[in-house]
Amino acid sequence: MQKKKSLGILADQKFIVMIIVVVLYVVFSLISKDFRKYSTMVMMLDSTYYILLLAIGVTFPLITGGVDLSIGTGMICYGLTGGFLVVQKGFPTWVGLIVAVLFGLLIGILNGVLVAVMDLPPFLATLCTCMMTRGLGSICANSFAIPWPGAKAEGGWFHNIFKLTVGAGRQAMNYPVGVIVLAVIVILMSFVLNHTRVGRYTIAIGSNKEATRLSGVNVKAYHITAYALSGLFAGLASLAYAAAIPTIQPGTGAGIELDAIGGAIVGGVSPTGGAGSIIGTMLGVFVIQLLKTGLPYIGLEANWQQIVTGLVLIGAVLIDVIKQRRAAFE
Amino acid sequence: MKKKLLATLLTAAMTATLLAGCGGSGSAAEAPAAAPAEAPAAAEEAAPAEEAAPAEEAAPAEEAAPAEEATANAGDNDKLTGTQFEGTTAKEAYNFAVDVKSFQSTYWQAALKGMDMAAEELGITYDAHGPNSESDIADQVNMLNADITSKPAGIGLAACDTTSVLDSLQDAKDAGIPVVCFDTGVADAPAGSVVATVATDNTQAGEVAAENMHEALKDVIAKADKQVRIGEINQDATALNIQQRGLGFINKMIGLLKADGKKVAVVGNEFYVNAAEGADGDEASADVVIEVAVPAQTTVELCTTEASTILSKEDTIGVFGSNQTAAEGLLAANSNLNLLGSDAAAGEVIGVGFDAGSVIKGAIKDGTMYGAVTQSPLMMGYYALYALTKAANGEQVSDLPTNGYWYNKDNIDDPEIAPNLYD
Amino acid sequence: MGEVILQMKDIDKSFPGVHALDHVSLEVRRGEVHALMGENGAGKSTLMKVLTGIYKKDSGTITYKGKDTEFHNTREAQDNGVVIVHQELNMVGDLTVAQNIFIGREPRKGFRIDDKKMIEDSKVLFDRLHIDIDPTEKMSELTVGKQQMCEIAKAISHNAELIIFDEPSAALTEKEIEDLFVIIRDLRAQDLGIIYISHRMDEIKVITDRVTVMRDGGYVGTLVTADCTKEDIINMMVGRVIYEKPKEKSHVPDDAPVVLKVEHLNAGKMVQDVSFELRKGEILGFSGLMGAGRTETARAIFGADAKQSGDIYVNGEKVEINSPEDAVKRGIGYLSEDRRRFGIVVGKSIIENSTMATLEDYMSGLFINKKKEKEITEQYIKELDTKTPSSDQLVVNLSGGNQQKVVIAKWLVRNSDILIFDEPTRGIDVGAKNEIYKLMNKLASEGKSIIMISSEMTEILRMSDRIVVMCEGKKTGEVKIEEATQELIMDKATRQMEA
Repeated sequence: MQKKKSLGILADQKFIVMIIVVVLYVVFSLISKDFRKYSTMVMMLDSTYYILLLAIGVTFPLITGGVDLSIGTGMICYGLTGGFLVVQKGFPTWVGLIVAVLFGLLIGILNGVLVAVMDLPPFLATLCTCMMTRGLGSICANSFAIPWPGAKAEGGWFHNIFKLTVGAGRQAMNYPVGVIVLAVIVILMSFVLNHTRVGRYTIAIGSNKEATRLSGVNVKAYHITAYALSGLFAGLASLAYAAAIPTIQPGTGAGIELDAIGGAIVGGVSPTGGAGSIIGTMLGVFVIQLLKTGLPYIGLEANWQQIVTGLVLIGAVLIDVIKQRRAAFE
Repeated sequence: MKKKLLATLLTAAMTATLLAGCGGSGSAAEAPAAAPAEAPAAAEEAAPAEEAAPAEEAAPAEEAAPAEEATANAGDNDKLTGTQFEGTTAKEAYNFAVDVKSFQSTYWQAALKGMDMAAEELGITYDAHGPNSESDIADQVNMLNADITSKPAGIGLAACDTTSVLDSLQDAKDAGIPVVCFDTGVADAPAGSVVATVATDNTQAGEVAAENMHEALKDVIAKADKQVRIGEINQDATALNIQQRGLGFINKMIGLLKADGKKVAVVGNEFYVNAAEGADGDEASADVVIEVAVPAQTTVELCTTEASTILSKEDTIGVFGSNQTAAEGLLAANSNLNLLGSDAAAGEVIGVGFDAGSVIKGAIKDGTMYGAVTQSPLMMGYYALYALTKAANGEQVSDLPTNGYWYNKDNIDDPEIAPNLYD
Repeated sequence: MGEVILQMKDIDKSFPGVHALDHVSLEVRRGEVHALMGENGAGKSTLMKVLTGIYKKDSGTITYKGKDTEFHNTREAQDNGVVIVHQELNMVGDLTVAQNIFIGREPRKGFRIDDKKMIEDSKVLFDRLHIDIDPTEKMSELTVGKQQMCEIAKAISHNAELIIFDEPSAALTEKEIEDLFVIIRDLRAQDLGIIYISHRMDEIKVITDRVTVMRDGGYVGTLVTADCTKEDIINMMVGRVIYEKPKEKSHVPDDAPVVLKVEHLNAGKMVQDVSFELRKGEILGFSGLMGAGRTETARAIFGADAKQSGDIYVNGEKVEINSPEDAVKRGIGYLSEDRRRFGIVVGKSIIENSTMATLEDYMSGLFINKKKEKEITEQYIKELDTKTPSSDQLVVNLSGGNQQKVVIAKWLVRNSDILIFDEPTRGIDVGAKNEIYKLMNKLASEGKSIIMISSEMTEILRMSDRIVVMCEGKKTGEVKIEEATQELIMDKATRQMEA
């Protein structure tokens, strides 16, 4: 009994992923002295914010047993639209931010309706909205590349949500305040997943949709909510993206969703639905980001970076598979 | 060579001033949908240019301006003076197909602006197509093939990938459709398929970047008591223009440093390491290491990571981003590291960019970026349609290289530069 | 009965924390049908898994055909003629009967699968079993009973000498069970050894020669079936006497108010013009053969499937029920015949399952009040006597009977007054069955009204106050318990109502 318990902690995906995070960080730091610099950490965090926001959102459709492929191109689309209003049309920054988030929510609801009401397979439905948002972004921004106001420019205050820069030039200090913002969001969404009806029913839909429906739960509404959350977070991610990347280019974004989905799966979200956690998703995203940032620092060539990333992901998912197989044997 | 450059610059200066003026109104009239967005931007660009004009050699330009407006439709203006297109008019109201690499960056918007101008002058029309991003090679090939089937009078092509379009070019040749390549030349094109190439001399453009960076760094390098590093971020290792630009920079830099008596090694991406000429190859003993980074995909995010890697190395003294994406990646990386600046002697890293866009322009104005090389997408688009018209007329056309120009804080608003610097 | 084909002696097997098999013995002869009985969790499945190599035994000996044997996997067992016919059918619905039987070992002609030979071989097999199935038909188009036959044919095609039937009759109709028994007798006559696992006491008496009873992982004893009574076997299984006579008289007063009235309900082919009334405190039995449309009727009432027409009145008030959500709001609860698919969320805890239908009552503002949730769950665990170490236990780890109690708890927590029990004791062992019956009686006496759909005649007769009989989507009769006999119900269940 004692033995089984200790094995229980070891077998917890979150614990394993945390160890992977620590090991990757230590290994990269040992190999590259530039990697362990504070500034590298801040840079890595910059791109972690939007991937993490996407991943938190997509965790919900994933737990229902679905997927949302539209978040990558969607994020770009929302960022372009909001930015277009600010940069080209002279609206105040807050209008652009709100429009981006609401646009995301809207596409999320559309995804939810397609999946829950029209009964389209999630893969197909969100693949379609993925293509649509890719085109929509270009149309909404009139095919312009959109540079949101820079950190020090007028209307660039939103950068401070994620990174506070004090001083100027070489003396400037960057404070990654986004860590606090994201920590609050992670805690909040963990709470939503574990302590609210939205979370409870999201998990229930993923475990046994029919049994949930036959319990009198308005399954359609909660199914739509899961996708709406995913869209909402893609909208939020577009803000973090605009803060991290100088210019949003129309037509980009495809592939970013895979980083987010990959992170969630590594973090223990079951690929078949019914299980997952926000904390796990966060740790999974850390793994992906560490690889993406760290591998160039240890001097690995770009194409090898992708191969190594793929291998690590296989390893992380295998742990889960082996664990399940062992559980089935007992 | 120097003289020729100067002459071209002068011509460009004059023409550009005019362009700015008529470009704004031209595009506003032609593309009502885009007008509200574009017009203010164009007007902004135009205003300083025209104000600046009288101060300098722009006297003839000023005089030419009203004249040009009157004669614009006759297709007889200064932009064409001295080129093979002098006196070119369209025999018919041709309709051309144009395939750009994408509509993704404002770079291509500027090229289309140039085309709009030429189209109006010549009384012709064109349809532009482009994939979602510059890496969607297959999409572009499909668009090109579709254009060939629709039998336009000619095709203007900026190829995303220079090898993938070869079959299509053969088809175009077989169908008797003349192709003018702009921005990017297709070196292995089937004989007779591409009638002319209107493209920046990318090797020259890369050299311009190397010369200017070397100017800023030579004292630091001379005084350095240990190895120093110069970085280059290239978006990819497959597009010919990036290859030429990257190698133009590397080879010129090697030449200049060797003239200073330094040993140089090139490291990083294999393609560039193998293609570089004159390097000593031994990293350990080199005085200067040129490190070339190429991300796995052509996105700003990945360029940023690669740029951070190089920028954060302590011996790095200068970094060149060889296109807009790479240069913006460099700036994004610097937003955390705060290492870039204009004062190399004080230990600031010299950042050199390529092309324009508001982010790069802003960084040059505030001194974060030392300077950048600009192409003239406007002129490339403009000349491409003239070349197509001439080819459709059945006349002989030849290649037209356009230059890359250095700009920095001091000359960014100069009338010969500003019009090319799209937002 | 012939020579001994299988001898398992002193088989011992432990899992961490559980002594699953405690020196169990089993002897099977050629030409006999040997029943293996015991409540769920008694160790029958574990013993069979040890035999077929899925589990490795800790100690003990297995002698098969006179030789010491230990199979390492089911494939090896199969190759040696030991096959299991599973309770769940392992068939690929989109393949034909023949393709299913020969899946994984298709006869080949060069690189091509020899379909002709496969079909012919299937026919030979079916002839041997005296069954009439077209081998080229798609598996999914067969009835459950015929699929079962195919499963048996597949087992025999492995040159089986020892066949294990694991609850083969669970999903079959009475007629199909009879057909099955013909086949089993046939196999017995061919000198095969047969192990027959079932919960149904009647079947054991009819088909088996000897019976070995297990209890709590231990061996209780082996009897010759002909020499013992049902009660003897049950006593050995549960270690206590349980027997409840059929209900003699309705417990519902004639003037009890009608809580649910269904009029002219139509939903597809399986529900045609069904009307009935349910009174307060009543247990209304729904009898009929497989495919009579009872489950479909229940699902249409509950809003789980769309209905074409018909009116539903709850407590005299006409209600619109278009989704389970609507039904639950009206106080109707539905306990599906297929618990694992439709009744419970197996991977989740008892708490989460118990409050599934009522979560809105356990909120503090936006958040779920987990303390309150736990309290109510534990109250019902106690009330229903659900056997579980804690309320956090995952439902998947509970036995069938206890899972059913969790589903019941879900509706009791919801305070539903009308409960539809669809095959409430399917797959539940005798002891637990009795508890479910007691519970239903208690609920009825407390004023809840119950519709009980059941395919077991004894269950219908024991529990119902009144019986509705259906056949092929139509209601063919309504019988008061006082007048009900097995023959009468069977008669109505097998023929269409005249006119």
